[in-house]
Amino acid sequence: MSKKNIIVVGGGLSGLMATIKICEAGGEVKLFSYCPVKRSHSLCAQGGINACMNTKGQNDTTWEHFDDTVYGGDFLADQTAVKGMCEAAPKLIKMFDRMGVPFTRTAEGVLDLRNFGGQKNKRTVFAGSTTGQQLLYALDEQVRKWEVKGNVKKYEFWEFIRIIKNDNGICRGIVAQNMNSMEIEAFRADAVILATGGPGVIFGRCTASTICNGSAVSAVYQQGAEIGNSEFIQIHPTAIPGSDKNRLMSEACRGEGGRVWTYKDGKPWYFLEEMYPAYGNLVPRDIASRAIYDVCVNQKLGINGENRVYLDLSHIPAEYLERKLGGILEMYSEFVGDDPRKVPMQIYPSVHYSMGGIWVDTKHNTNIPALLASGECDYQYHGANRLGANSLLSAAYSGTISGPEAIRWSESDDIGEELTDEQLAAAKQTCVDEFENIINMNGKENAHELHHELGDLMNRYCTIVRVNKELDLCMDELKKILVRWNDIGVNDKGHWANQEAMFVRQLHNMIIYAMVICKAARMRDESRGAHYKPEFPNRDDEHFLKTTIASYNAETHEPNITYREYDHSLIKPRPRRYDVAKGGK
Amino acid sequence: MSEQKTVHFIIERQDGPDSKPYTEEFLVPYRPALNVVAALMEIQKKPVTKDGKKTTPVVWECNCLEKVCGACMMVINGKARQACATLVDQIPQPIRLAPARTFPVIRDLQIDRSVMFESLKRIRGWIDVDGSWEVNTAPIQNPYTAATAYEIAHCMTCGCCLEACPNVGPQSDFIGPAPTVQAYLFNLNPLGSFNKDKRLNALMEKGGITSCGNSQNCVQVCPKNIKLTTYLAQLNRDVNKQALKNIFNK
Amino acid sequence: MFHVTFYIRRLHSICGIVPMGLFLLEHVLTNAEAMGGPAAFNEAIARIALIPHNIMLVIEIFGLAIPFLFHMIYGLYIALQANNNPAQYGYTRNWQFALQRWTAIFLFVFLIIHVVDLRIFTKGGGTPISYALLDEMFNNMGWFVLYLLGMLAAIFHFCNGMTTLCMTWGIAKGPRAQSVVGKLMMLVCAVLCIVTIAFMASYKMH
Repeated sequence: MSKKNIIVVGGGLSGLMATIKICEAGGEVKLFSYCPVKRSHSLCAQGGINACMNTKGQNDTTWEHFDDTVYGGDFLADQTAVKGMCEAAPKLIKMFDRMGVPFTRTAEGVLDLRNFGGQKNKRTVFAGSTTGQQLLYALDEQVRKWEVKGNVKKYEFWEFIRIIKNDNGICRGIVAQNMNSMEIEAFRADAVILATGGPGVIFGRCTASTICNGSAVSAVYQQGAEIGNSEFIQIHPTAIPGSDKNRLMSEACRGEGGRVWTYKDGKPWYFLEEMYPAYGNLVPRDIASRAIYDVCVNQKLGINGENRVYLDLSHIPAEYLERKLGGILEMYSEFVGDDPRKVPMQIYPSVHYSMGGIWVDTKHNTNIPALLASGECDYQYHGANRLGANSLLSAAYSGTISGPEAIRWSESDDIGEELTDEQLAAAKQTCVDEFENIINMNGKENAHELHHELGDLMNRYCTIVRVNKELDLCMDELKKILVRWNDIGVNDKGHWANQEAMFVRQLHNMIIYAMVICKAARMRDESRGAHYKPEFPNRDDEHFLKTTIASYNAETHEPNITYREYDHSLIKPRPRRYDVAKGGK
Repeated sequence: MSEQKTVHFIIERQDGPDSKPYTEEFLVPYRPALNVVAALMEIQKKPVTKDGKKTTPVVWECNCLEKVCGACMMVINGKARQACATLVDQIPQPIRLAPARTFPVIRDLQIDRSVMFESLKRIRGWIDVDGSWEVNTAPIQNPYTAATAYEIAHCMTCGCCLEACPNVGPQSDFIGPAPTVQAYLFNLNPLGSFNKDKRLNALMEKGGITSCGNSQNCVQVCPKNIKLTTYLAQLNRDVNKQALKNIFNK
Repeated sequence: MFHVTFYIRRLHSICGIVPMGLFLLEHVLTNAEAMGGPAAFNEAIARIALIPHNIMLVIEIFGLAIPFLFHMIYGLYIALQANNNPAQYGYTRNWQFALQRWTAIFLFVFLIIHVVDLRIFTKGGGTPISYALLDEMFNNMGWFVLYLLGMLAAIFHFCNGMTTLCMTWGIAKGPRAQSVVGKLMMLVCAVLCIVTIAFMASYKMH
């Protein structure tokens, strides 16, 4: 039998973890990424990674972590999967510790833990304010070791275009494009793992990296993979709006006494304090987001009519701020140019994370045989809303599942015949033709302008507050944008590092994915987790305690939405309320 | 309405690795808190030069835009820095952008930094764990040592220090400050220190730490404020001791 | 494992102090006697001449010529590996780094002229070095400027070399220690330069 040959697409935390697991099982990995893997988006995670270490005398248990995650996700997460993740978490932390992650330590040299939103025990392991960066680097280093040993071949600056199935419909290869030479190549594999991250860039400006465009997910969706729970998009209430991206402003600012306000009738209006006298500025993320949205969009009271309000720390002594929030405030100064110790910061809610993604089973298999998905690009673990500091955990953990599962595929007889030369050539030719067509587009539209419009549209209708009538409108607009895509004019006709042409291809995938988010949001007539509809303000377990499944309709380019049962047998759903202490179980 | 304020960019462009560089000038609408990446994004939306000539959008590399990924390093007004964290308000205009020519240019402002990742292989930039499976709990660490490690672990392989270092470039084989100092990071770790000798010996080879000429530009330009020269001096101490060990302990 | 580059580099560093640095100091001190007039200077020369000729020759070849040539040739190789950029990165240390290399190239030429002229042709040809000889030589403004610049360059090169040596050998590690060493060495540099300018000027003032 031939060597176990796995393709991993994406070199973030999940892809690298899977790669390591595959190498350890004797497999060989072709690792595709469209940036050096060390620059993947996982490094933007700041706060930490949750794991029940129980070193703070709080009798923390993995069950408690499991319960917090399920409760935080408004009971929409597959409980078998979540339970597995929470139980594995402490072992993963020990592994990272051995790999040399410079975690923040207590005076006696053991890993320190911090509090994080939605959890009452200290359970978040952290490395200063750059936990994601440090975890990613540790795995990057381990993968480099495997690269030296010859088990990993990296294809950095290669963009994934599509998967290739054999005659039995089993995924046995991919087509990818070298982003410098523009050469398009087809590759064989025993199994393919997609670990390509979230789709934030569909919303234009968000807290994600510019590379998180969901294009790969959309590509496999168009080839038959199902997308689950795509309507669940997490919004962070306090981000610094920017024309290039929105940068996260930590929740700690409100925690340390920051006040949110805007001008009303020429005077400062502390609307959170007025609307929610009990909690004031410390209301949970979703409530804060909705209030800011209401003030700016419905009441049109944003600063200078723009969508932003003040987050004010200037009344707090500078010395106290320096001690508590030093690094964060420096970040604001660096990117905005104002000193938040003196001038109120300007913030607005921003798209932050996608709970939904490619539907997978608990072993991270998609509905296409031998195609696996892990990390933010899959839909697992977070249900309707993600708990802070669970994203790094789910990314790393999913890699420990998808890697060995890919090995299992490679050893099984179920994967059928490997791709013939003809099949490879045909798949390659499809992509070459498609790319040449893009290069030859001579229409009137600018792809980046069109993307800007897509982002505006999605931000307006598919984020904090969703209204069915508006979602219908949004869908119509998306269809128009899809048509206008055909009228794009490509300025760069070259065949060397042509970023514009690649972006045009990505944009098509983004529009298709946007339709999935929009339609799924339209169909879910309830409010749950991050998905809020004023017309249906309550959770409706009777009808919607189900996973949303979107599958592609090639005729209309629209998704077909169905609902699928999942495992919620371990913890019975109970109302999710953060205005009182967490309900008993 | 008053005339739209603009920002003037002079960008050094190059169509391919072997093409001749040329410059193009652009005017980008001004906005408060405009940074260089955001300005390049504006050029993508409207790839027209100052003189109204249609051109191709400028090619550059960027990911996170939060100064953690290291991708968007370029030479801005003569100095290597991260484009995303460079506000146009804080530097004189016209703003001159150029690729970091210490590295091979791919196109326009995009460069090939793979040599840095290769250097990390050379210095054995990893901890030799047995596997990702459950073994022991890792040893406890002195929190102060861990804090030093944390500082060095911020290095995002952006290449600013290599670009600024006069001893790095096609004329020399110096691996540069960043990969060199990474060796110290792994030597600091209790498990990593098991391979300390190997890393130090690697640094004693050609292009290693001996090629450092103490211009100290690295510490000035490091966007993460890593005390590179301090750790280079420490490594110098360590390799000298290692040399004595190599001579007398065998 | 035998790291040729490493040992050559370190040897190059040591050569900079012993014998080169010491020999430079000897030059400054001996020549400073010129300020005391011809008699004092000639007396200083005579003191050195007390060393027997055969021993002196051995010292000159093995203690001076070989280390000098090694330091100069390998140093030139090092200097050529730098792409000096103080115009772009105008930090003090970077200027010093560039000056170190520029002075190196200048000194390479200067030392060859100096040794060939005075040691090989003049002294080797049987004419002893004396105050009168130098005085006549420095009457020529070209020689005077060349020697003055040569001395100043050598002094800077030595003092700055001592600063980098403290870093290369890991003696001064932290930013404060490195800064103190740097300033101290520049102070020494200033003192030696003043002495040099003084004795060179003395030739012009009698």
